Amino acid sequence: MSKHILVIGGGVIGLSAALECRHRGHEVTVLEAGTCGGQASGAAAGMLAPYAEAGEEPDALFRLCQLSLRRTADWVQKVEEESGISVGYRKNGSLQVVFHEADAFLLESKRRWLREAGAEAEVVSGNRLGQMEPGLGQGAVAALWCPEEAHVYSPDYVQALQSACRKAGVRIREQLGRLIWQGHQGDKRVKSPAGEAFEGDEVVLAAGAWSCEWEQSLGMAVPVHPIRGQICAYTGVDAPRHLVFTSQGYLVAKPNGTLVCGASEDVAGFDTRVTERGIRRLESWNKDVWPALQGEQPFHHWAGLRPATQDGFPLIGRLTRHPEVILATGHYRNGILMSPITAEIIADLVDEKSPALPLDSYHPERFAVTSY
Amino acid sequence: MKWKIGGKPLTSRIFLGTGRFPSPLVQNQAIEASGAEVLTFAIRRVHLDAPHDDAILQHLEGDHFIYLPNTSGASNAEEAIRIARLARASGLSDWIKVEIHADQKTLLPDPVETLKATEALVKEGFVVLPYTSDDPALARKLEEAGAAAVMPGGSPIGTGLGLLNPYNLGLIAEELRVPVVVDAGIGSAADAVQAMELGADGVLINTAIARAKDPAAMAQAMKLAVEAGRLSRMAGRIPKKKYATASSPLGLGV
Repeated sequence: MSKHILVIGGGVIGLSAALECRHRGHEVTVLEAGTCGGQASGAAAGMLAPYAEAGEEPDALFRLCQLSLRRTADWVQKVEEESGISVGYRKNGSLQVVFHEADAFLLESKRRWLREAGAEAEVVSGNRLGQMEPGLGQGAVAALWCPEEAHVYSPDYVQALQSACRKAGVRIREQLGRLIWQGHQGDKRVKSPAGEAFEGDEVVLAAGAWSCEWEQSLGMAVPVHPIRGQICAYTGVDAPRHLVFTSQGYLVAKPNGTLVCGASEDVAGFDTRVTERGIRRLESWNKDVWPALQGEQPFHHWAGLRPATQDGFPLIGRLTRHPEVILATGHYRNGILMSPITAEIIADLVDEKSPALPLDSYHPERFAVTSY
Repeated sequence: MKWKIGGKPLTSRIFLGTGRFPSPLVQNQAIEASGAEVLTFAIRRVHLDAPHDDAILQHLEGDHFIYLPNTSGASNAEEAIRIARLARASGLSDWIKVEIHADQKTLLPDPVETLKATEALVKEGFVVLPYTSDDPALARKLEEAGAAAVMPGGSPIGTGLGLLNPYNLGLIAEELRVPVVVDAGIGSAADAVQAMELGADGVLINTAIARAKDPAAMAQAMKLAVEAGRLSRMAGRIPKKKYATASSPLGLGV
């Protein structure tokens, strides 16, 4: 049965979900408050690195990210073919580099559980590390090499998704302002501040850090909050062959010849300005990790608001109290990475099919108590 | 009521670990809700050349916390001592939590190396808080070596298994003159209450708060639990009896 789906938010999550729902034969309209990809999506470094991003164990976030990584090559190929736009997908593999002997110990335990979880991972050190990544700083003790990890160029990924959506027949409306849904009062339409009303069978809320604006109308806690990420880029610098991760941030070379260094995390509400301090934070470590940056100034810097959540897991699922609403938000540091699997899950929920993995850990209604 | 470690007066009896929080905002909210004054973190994770620009520490500015850097990742005394010196040289703190892992799977502390490192670091003038197993004899030796507080584990780090040997923890709390802070393994508020009822002076918590569904709410629960457990200890519990005692006795009423 074909449905009309309203997708709120034209970031990578909303656009990917829209494209997949369209492929499954649904009528889809994307409603965007500003510009598609204008927030975290377009600002992201495009890292597809669930293993480097993982903490101490294969938790629910890890499982979702890993599954999404496995969907990525096919998804990217489809998006590129349909849009005719290259997204700069490169499977360079990652190196999580440590600069303390005490960290080498943890690389080994991480390698072990990653391998058990089906990831390719190897600890490299000494000459081998020097040969794999000759430009690394002298202090590098060892690294965990994950050859499956990759990256895309986010601004192009957003463009390609938009174009693929439009070509497939998804309607995209931008510059609508803050969109309101009043389903709790029996009005199932989504309204813009200008008074325009949109009607659909189901609503997918993919508004990133702004999803919390629907708390009142949904009558539930949507504990998603913005964390500012600041990024800078260099040009004309010898670039690393791999995605280079450290405890302080990462470096990645883009096909356009730039070297991207990210990303600081600030608590700054909805402020998207770049600060001197935020960029200085990146500069305080990146020269030690990558000495070619010595004496270089970033030619460009920018910031975006990542949608963080209260327990670190995204909010993905259909609401029980408002079954016509599906949430797909709170992807924090890994929205680009999780876009293929989120699109698939959302389309499965729309089609009332059971998704590829259990959604309990991501259920938007899992937060029972929010204050004492 | 104030208590002291290394001559420093403290109010809060929760030490909070700063790892594993879902976001810096959630971390800050949890720190505030816990009331913690002492914050611990792994030195190896910190950018020691610019600690105030560090990925974790940058969020803690403007408050008067006591930093308790730890030597996590060290597998012998020599490494732990080296890490401790790095931390002090960066100007972060002269407090050090000695944390030396005997093996990667359990991350249990290596008793011999922990004692060695404690002796050496005390001589170098550090305020040393060793993370140790729940062995009372070892705890005494650490105290004799000059530890400012002793931190026996409840159960392995991050497991949330609670206090596996309350008998030993109670003995340690009873016998030591320096403060005892139960470190590692606390899973929920009940475990924090139990640690305090056993006579601990404080608890160190990280995973149980950082990985809770609502870390700020759990931090507050832990704060209340620590207060409740300490009050309960001081109030003096009733002896356990096998059979019921009527709560409205015959005889003279009040």
